[in-house]
Amino acid sequence: MKMLVGSLALVAALAGTSLSGAHAQETIKIGVTQPLTGAFAASGNYVAQGTKIAEEEINNAGGVLGKKIQLVIEDNKSNPTEAVTTVEKLIGQDKVPLLIGAWSSTLTLAVMPKLEEYKVPMIVETSSSGKITTSGNPYVFRISPTSEMEAKAFQPLVKQMGIKKADFLNTNNDFGIGSADEFSKMLKANGVEVGVRETMDPAATDFSAQLAKIKASGGDTLFVTTAVEQLTLILKQAKEQQLKVRVVSCGGSNSPDQIIAQAGAAAEGSFHTTFFPPWFPDVTTNPDVSKRYMDGWKKRGFNVGGLTEGYRGYDAVYVAVAAIKAAGKADPEAIRKALWDVQVKGVYGNIHFNKQGPAGKESGQNVPTVYLVAVKDGKVQKPQF
Amino acid sequence: MTRFTPWLFVAALATVPLWMNDYYYLHVLITTGIFIIAAMSLNLLLGYTGQLSLGHVAFFGIGAYTSALVSLGFKVHIAPDTVVSLSPKPVWFAILCAIVVTGIVGYSIGKLSFRVRGAYFVIVSISFAEVVRLVALNWLELTQGPMALNSIPALTLGFGDYTISFLRKPQFFYLMLVMAVVSYLIVARLVNSRAGRAMIALRENESLAMSVGIDVTRYLVLATVVSAAIAGMAGALYTHYIRIVDPNIFLFIYTVTMVIMVVTGGKGTLAGPIVGGVVFGIVPEVLRGMKIVPEVQWIVYGVLMIAIVYFLPEGIVPAVQRALASGRRAFAGLTILTESKAEEK
Amino acid sequence: MNQLLQHLLNAVILGGTYALLGIGLTLIFGIMRVVNFTHGELYAFGAYCMYALVMRLGFDFFASLLLAVALGALVGAVIELVLLSRLRRADIDTTMLVMIGAWIIMQNAEQLIWSGVALSITSPFPSNPLVLGPASVSWTRVYVFVVALLLIAGTYFLINRTKLGKAMRATFQDRDTAALMGIRIDRIHTATFAIGSSLAAAAGALLGPVFVVQPTMGDLAAAKAFAVVILGGMGSVPGATIGGFVLAFAEELGAGYISSGYRDAMGFVLIILILLVRPTGLFARKERIG
Repeated sequence: MKMLVGSLALVAALAGTSLSGAHAQETIKIGVTQPLTGAFAASGNYVAQGTKIAEEEINNAGGVLGKKIQLVIEDNKSNPTEAVTTVEKLIGQDKVPLLIGAWSSTLTLAVMPKLEEYKVPMIVETSSSGKITTSGNPYVFRISPTSEMEAKAFQPLVKQMGIKKADFLNTNNDFGIGSADEFSKMLKANGVEVGVRETMDPAATDFSAQLAKIKASGGDTLFVTTAVEQLTLILKQAKEQQLKVRVVSCGGSNSPDQIIAQAGAAAEGSFHTTFFPPWFPDVTTNPDVSKRYMDGWKKRGFNVGGLTEGYRGYDAVYVAVAAIKAAGKADPEAIRKALWDVQVKGVYGNIHFNKQGPAGKESGQNVPTVYLVAVKDGKVQKPQF
Repeated sequence: MTRFTPWLFVAALATVPLWMNDYYYLHVLITTGIFIIAAMSLNLLLGYTGQLSLGHVAFFGIGAYTSALVSLGFKVHIAPDTVVSLSPKPVWFAILCAIVVTGIVGYSIGKLSFRVRGAYFVIVSISFAEVVRLVALNWLELTQGPMALNSIPALTLGFGDYTISFLRKPQFFYLMLVMAVVSYLIVARLVNSRAGRAMIALRENESLAMSVGIDVTRYLVLATVVSAAIAGMAGALYTHYIRIVDPNIFLFIYTVTMVIMVVTGGKGTLAGPIVGGVVFGIVPEVLRGMKIVPEVQWIVYGVLMIAIVYFLPEGIVPAVQRALASGRRAFAGLTILTESKAEEK
Repeated sequence: MNQLLQHLLNAVILGGTYALLGIGLTLIFGIMRVVNFTHGELYAFGAYCMYALVMRLGFDFFASLLLAVALGALVGAVIELVLLSRLRRADIDTTMLVMIGAWIIMQNAEQLIWSGVALSITSPFPSNPLVLGPASVSWTRVYVFVVALLLIAGTYFLINRTKLGKAMRATFQDRDTAALMGIRIDRIHTATFAIGSSLAAAAGALLGPVFVVQPTMGDLAAAKAFAVVILGGMGSVPGATIGGFVLAFAEELGAGYISSGYRDAMGFVLIILILLVRPTGLFARKERIG
């Protein structure tokens, strides 16, 4: 009896949700899955904000194929199972012809099998793990760089900065480990001695033990890969322990503005890689696009610290729309084919997709520009060597 | 009526893939179903033996990883010169391994942890799950750590030319349903047996049970082994459905979900985890469908949890049972009243 | 050698804060037997209070600490009165689930109000560290350490030398007899929870300027607090104090000399070992188990 009640409730609830999901056919939907709550909420929300700016701009210019675009943004709660659920919902219920997501590499990897199952392409806007584009999934199109690309782009600076011995401190997840692996490989190939490789839990706030070890190692440069909150703490604690090394932060989730605001004097003399330098929009490949994005961001009053992440969502939507336009219809297969020929002037640079991965099942990979900025006199500056 | 209702329920569920075309709903039902299996196993520990285990997700995760590793194959150096390796095995074998391994882990943990009770046991169980998570996170050679084990194969069963692949949702739904029924039957058999009665006795009053000669540790360990094995099986199912596993599977929030399902449904009742599972598996998706901000969705979830626990502290199932019973009594009383009135005429 | 000295100094300073986290919880978990999942949220609440008072409203740094502690006590009292008062005779898992629900609500409310972006609180202390030979420590951390010790001493005094403390101990030793002796049980419950919560808020208010403030900051803090309580023995304030230092040393030396990745595992491994070898913790009086 109680089970009957239970099952009736179940069906009723699901039926209710489907009624509330009734949609008009006048818009072209684009699915977005991002971590809006949970551990990655800060970054996920920045990316979502970036997508919304693009959505409004595109719709004000008339939309695409005569219709307006509609972003359906779902929260994947920084959790792989939820990421899969969001993709199921976006494809199954909202019937989106393409997706943008899922922020972290683990979340993206979790949804990749679904893309192949339902044959819907996804634009990967942030994830950095090499695996994503080398697993033989033809529905993945990544506009963000891999850690390998970042390390390669850094190579010419090794001699300029005079790095002789480097230590590593990275967060204990795919992002941190992947970055440390690629950078240490690149440094070794360039004759730099690699000292210690310390790790920390993504939620840790105290790095005194790791920093003490790094101090004892005696390297001249410390490569740190983690998110901005931990980076702030690392810089502050390094100062407390009188760690006199040059800090280079990698990964692009580092928001130098926020670091200066929160770490103050401790940030002085540090370097940060970024894929978009909002302080020098003129050195970017497409300054007019960069400025348009920044104006849109400031107009909406979003947190300035998020400029270094929001553009990922912004560019992703523009790429999506370019593909839809080239495809001529809101059909996943047509869009997937169209993505290969897409050339978009984005904040990331001139976006296009190269083939990467096993033959016959290649994924698309963009080659964005990588920049290095320095913090000097309390401001973000172009590095001088 | 009561004897056949569960089977009617199962039969009704079996028809679902035939008419439910929306794969999103099927997905929600499948993941809810897998968590309900895990919740049923937790109910054995939490509801029937009365031990508040908050580390249950460890068994779920160990089952998931074992099955993934056996089906993918692995190679580890346990000492600088000694390598242990395994070539990929068929998925059904991997799932069996998962069940056995988790059962063994359950046995060891059971023997060790039941030196303490109550609040201490809660902490031990949480700590155990955390340590397992950290091992999965840091033992990169075996588990790939946060880089995750992906491309996990789906289950295929075949005899000669007949193969069924449990890759697509409708097939997987049936697999999940069968495993759920099997788990339910195992738990029901155990609970209604002599061992089960011993467990309930020690839940009610451990010292009294001991004085009557019940070997408390033995039954606690038995409950843990069965509970762990079922949870491990659920974890294995999960990993061959989602086809990626990373240390996030050990997140505390999953244990919380399972505990909520058991306690709000009605711990110590067989239907409890199912009803609780349905409610708390579906609720987040219903909330997602409503146009409210994610943080508020979570807040509503929290409020709902508190409300149910507050107003129905024994759970939904016992409350419904009581309501029905008093309904019957009222009805019976009414019948007698009207009958006697009729007689008086 | 220099590295060892730095590790030891780090451990001492960290120990003070862990001890502070632990004594608040040992009162609630150890004495009231409530598995208090909101402890971490009160810690975060204390930090957010400091942020709001110091950075948004411009109050004095030290006065804000007192205010944050007072507000923490208030929130604790409210939680106890609204949620826990009717559950005093309920199962441990019922109260636990209610606390989990409260935890979910508080954390998401914080994210709703402040967003998930990390916030920082400027401390009035100089940013150059205090140098002690080859090791150094920031002034803010020294201040935190000193205040933590004062609060720990204050709590010890409260529990053991005041009437309220005596009433608390009596209530949790034997509630019915205490009631017969005229102690207002409900008031004691509320007071205990409020005091424990205010200590968590104090820890958060002290550490907010050292670290950054974000909605998830309470989770790790709560995990450490539970470890400290188990180490020291439930309900023992001196036990929690020493437990705090033991945990800090284990973590700092373990991370320094064994493996930094497993740093946060140290606490849990210790818990398991202690509970298997000496279940009552290092310092609690003999307690009946089961």
